[in-house]
Amino acid sequence: MIIAGGFSYGDYLRPGAIASHSPIAKKLPEYVESGKFVIGICNGFQILCELGLLPGILTTNTSTKFICKWVNISTEQTSCSLLKGMENKKLKLPIAHYEGRYYSEPANIQRLGNNNQIAFSYCNEQGEINEESNPNGSLENIAGIVNKTGNVLGMMPHPERASFLYLGSEDGKIIFENLKEELTC
Amino acid sequence: MERYSGKAKDIELLDEKEVKIHFRDSISAFDGEKTEELLNKGEVNCRTSAKLFEILNEYNIETHYLKSISSRDLLCEKVDIIPVEIVCRNIAAGSFCRRYGIEIGTNFDQPLVEFFLKEDELHDPLITEEAAILMNYLSGEDATIIKAVTLAVNHILRNIFKSISLVLVDFKLEFGRSHEGKLIIADEISADTMRLWEINTGEIKDKDRYRKDLGDVIQHYKDILERLETITELPNIEFNTKTNIRISLKDSVLDPAGEVTFRSLKRNEYENIESVRLGKNASIKFSSVPSESLYKKTQEISNRILSNPLIEETKLSMEYFETSNEG
Repeated sequence: MIIAGGFSYGDYLRPGAIASHSPIAKKLPEYVESGKFVIGICNGFQILCELGLLPGILTTNTSTKFICKWVNISTEQTSCSLLKGMENKKLKLPIAHYEGRYYSEPANIQRLGNNNQIAFSYCNEQGEINEESNPNGSLENIAGIVNKTGNVLGMMPHPERASFLYLGSEDGKIIFENLKEELTC
Repeated sequence: MERYSGKAKDIELLDEKEVKIHFRDSISAFDGEKTEELLNKGEVNCRTSAKLFEILNEYNIETHYLKSISSRDLLCEKVDIIPVEIVCRNIAAGSFCRRYGIEIGTNFDQPLVEFFLKEDELHDPLITEEAAILMNYLSGEDATIIKAVTLAVNHILRNIFKSISLVLVDFKLEFGRSHEGKLIIADEISADTMRLWEINTGEIKDKDRYRKDLGDVIQHYKDILERLETITELPNIEFNTKTNIRISLKDSVLDPAGEVTFRSLKRNEYENIESVRLGKNASIKFSSVPSESLYKKTQEISNRILSNPLIEETKLSMEYFETSNEG
């Protein structure tokens, strides 16, 4: 299942707050428990966090502005098979969000790192993860994470908007190709 | 000439703006049941009050004190006194211990502010803020300002007394409105209106010496004054005043976001919910002491920038913290 972005629930309380209490959302924990894949992109990532299916929360960008631009993210080794073949690479993907600043308590951030759950980190052209390459103030430059079992992936950048060269990049395509492969085998 | 005599002071009205406060040698306790004349008491209390008011004024706390005109007379702004006495406690003592059966000397984690109705016939009973507002003794706005100012005064006085090896256990303040309508501290601040203990020994230095017949009342009052007069440089105090502004849409204005939240709650089977309205909350921290003018400034910020009075209404409150990481 892919939870797409798009603020369709208004996000008045917090991004994903209302959506995470919608009828369909109630079935999601069970779905995840069964080992099936769930990808949350942008607002989808926010909804997964509000549901508690991923740790942490996404909150207002430090700039307090809606940011819509191309960014570089570096990929790490995780247990998520959807990210197969993407390890230790630099990808070019677009972001478009107002509330993309990843926050969690320091102990949780440390746990994410220790468990290899940090899938994507904002970086520069050279692949260096630093403050300048952090577009929204996310802790540890976090752009995307996976759950412990590796079947839930949440990310703020939009791989679907970078799946064909004529869109400016096809770096995001591999996630969908991996998903297709996982579903057919 | 208009005159008013209280239990220990005479107030002489000089004009529309100013009064002369004369300190007599009388001392009284238990709502005037126990009274006595103690030589030099008027002078010592007058000078102590003047010194403490000067210190407070130095830190920009607004008081009625203008200047000292003789060893027993203060020139002050004329005020309409608010009939509610404000007590601030750092350590349990006096009526607090009797009321709640708590041991004298129990330290509080945070200072406590209490209101008492200034009415001898009723023995100055404790009054809740709600009751004081209900009976129009003060407004809700006055109450929030008075509490914050009292806590800031506590912060200052505690520091001052600590520097002369005394512990400020509790104290009483009175507030009034000046001829200009300003909310300011009035009455006196002396060993009659506070509890002070010697820092190392816990020896009582205040009016409790008289209440408990411990003797040497004036000697101890004088000692406090002499120590106060050794202070030449005031300590640097970091003030932390916070004003909170709650902004909500007027009831008559549609709140689509609240409506969506309302529908979500209903869908989640929460019953008997009539409506949901969402609002905003802003907290502004100031590095100055709390005052009525700071409250008014927040009101201006609130109406000019934070909200649009056409569709929104705001509710303000003021708080004071001794360290910036509180609150």
